Amino acid sequence: MVLVLALGDLHIPHRAADLPAKFKSMLVPGKIQHIICTGNLCIKEVHDYLKTLCPDLHITRGEYDEEMRYPETKTLTIGQFKLGLCHGHQVIPWGNLDSLAMLQRQLDVDILVTGHTHQFTAYKHEGGVVINPGSATGAYSSITYDVNPSFVLMDVDGLRVVVYVYELIDGEVKVDKIDFKKTTTTTHSAH
Amino acid sequence: MLKGKFKLPDKARRVFPLGSLIAGLDDKGEDESGGYDLVFQSGEELEFIQPNGAEVAKESDYEFQCEFDDDFGINDKMMDKEDAKAPKRSLKDGPGQVSVMEVIAADEKRSDLEHELSQREINLEKLRRIANTGIPEGGGLRAATWKLLLGYLSPSRDLWEKELTGNRQKYAKLKEELLCSPSEVNRVNDDALNSDELNVEGDVAGPLKRHGVSHEDHPLSVGKSSAWHQYFQHTEIADQIDRDLQRTHPNIKFFSGDSSFSRKKRDAMRNILLLFAKLNPAIRYVQGMNEVLAPIFYVFSTDTDQQNAANAEADSFSCFVRLLSDSVDHFCQQLDNSPVGILSTLSRLMDLLKANDEELWRHLESTTKVKPQFYAFRWITLLLTQEFKFQSILRIWDLLLSNPSGVQDMLLRICCAMLLCVKSRLLSGDFVANLRLLQHYPDINIEHLLQVAQDLSPDTVSCPLSL
Repeated sequence: MVLVLALGDLHIPHRAADLPAKFKSMLVPGKIQHIICTGNLCIKEVHDYLKTLCPDLHITRGEYDEEMRYPETKTLTIGQFKLGLCHGHQVIPWGNLDSLAMLQRQLDVDILVTGHTHQFTAYKHEGGVVINPGSATGAYSSITYDVNPSFVLMDVDGLRVVVYVYELIDGEVKVDKIDFKKTTTTTHSAH
Repeated sequence: MLKGKFKLPDKARRVFPLGSLIAGLDDKGEDESGGYDLVFQSGEELEFIQPNGAEVAKESDYEFQCEFDDDFGINDKMMDKEDAKAPKRSLKDGPGQVSVMEVIAADEKRSDLEHELSQREINLEKLRRIANTGIPEGGGLRAATWKLLLGYLSPSRDLWEKELTGNRQKYAKLKEELLCSPSEVNRVNDDALNSDELNVEGDVAGPLKRHGVSHEDHPLSVGKSSAWHQYFQHTEIADQIDRDLQRTHPNIKFFSGDSSFSRKKRDAMRNILLLFAKLNPAIRYVQGMNEVLAPIFYVFSTDTDQQNAANAEADSFSCFVRLLSDSVDHFCQQLDNSPVGILSTLSRLMDLLKANDEELWRHLESTTKVKPQFYAFRWITLLLTQEFKFQSILRIWDLLLSNPSGVQDMLLRICCAMLLCVKSRLLSGDFVANLRLLQHYPDINIEHLLQVAQDLSPDTVSCPLSL
């Protein structure tokens, strides 16, 4: 049972001051094994905060990140799944499923996590899954002002991953879950 | 055939200061269990059929081994134990006929015990009397005897098969229920319900279906009723258990080190302790329970019967629970001042000491003000596992478990005997010296200690508890 937190597009301090209090109270150290962040944190303080939640932190660079040295894309293997990470502003049209599928094939991953649109989506496409955790702070995006804070927690258990979606709607935390099962095993590769 | 005690020439005593064979000698110079530790560290524990069999090959040229091997056809393990103990000394002092007596006496006890254990209806009284004097090593005798004395196995041999399988299955079920993480539980449930549904979704592309999450059933929930929250709370306990297990008996290869063998042992012990903590939310896990579990688990895992050794985890769990059921109140802080708590037990210890040796009692209580809380707390709650070497602990536990009036009764007597055996040092010491002495109890002859314990006058030990 491996818990992976996926979040991004916080835009602290430019567009939002902090994570919503209800999210912060739920995110305690010790439960989560990995954090993958799509980008646009934007400052080092947020990086440090995420590091306190879990030492294994993976970040890709968003267009507003002040840290220049995050990579554009990242892949990692967790359990039987290969995960790919990218901010998503590089993939045009933004949020387009086919274009994202191209990136997924390029990175050769089972689960692709991207952001930038600040809208939660989860699609199944050609045997793989594309997840957008949305914006964890509810910051406005390049496209819309109407954004609900959201993030994603994945429970990787063998060939099955349960995706828990946490959204803050009207001041209340709503949790949904999505089940995804992989059909074949992966040979482990070092990343 | 010689039975019981007899006078031995001094030289011989030095040669064989073995706990279970000689009585009545205070042997300060010898580190009586040093030999055993040597044996443990020689790396042969993987063959747990012969825990003491490490140095067999090397002693082949010793005089007395050759002499006796042919004459008496003695059990190899018996010889090994003695060889491992005193190879060098035997060359120096010469074995003489003394060793024959030792071996005969020990062998007799072993065959007595084996005979008793092979009966269809085992006489527990007789078993207790034999166990009182120390159970011989090897052959899984100790494991079987302890199981009988703790009440895990019934005295009728015919029921053993049924009981054992029943208990072991129960344990497996408990493990399944309580030790699985919530995601495993969910997976099993979902597999049962949704196997068809998932297959259908397999080929369809497009947005994935979202299911609502029934209240609090997500990993980050902090609600008390959530399975996840409870799971994470238990990981804290599990972490503490892990830390304590790392520190258990670090000089014994069975428990410590990074070999996959010892890691598996630690995992098994972890499961037992975690299960106990979950089943007893009032006490949960208290530091030190690992020490009480260690001898039980060791003895059962080194059973020569393969099936028993393989199921050591399940058996140890039951026996651990039984053993702890008497003293579990000692671990509960709220009960400290109550009649069943640790303070009351400590005062009973002091009463026992007063009844047997008022001078020492007064010296400790009033003159030097060394209160029993400072040293005896650990003695009593951990059943003396931290005070002596491992082999001595096994010997002491033989006596503890075989006492008809219960473990606690004999425990208090042994504690009192421990005080009496170092009486002269205590009388000449002040607070600091006495405390240091009692907190790092010196090596003494275990048989002598246990004899003193058994000889104590029993007036004030009014423990009606029995196993």
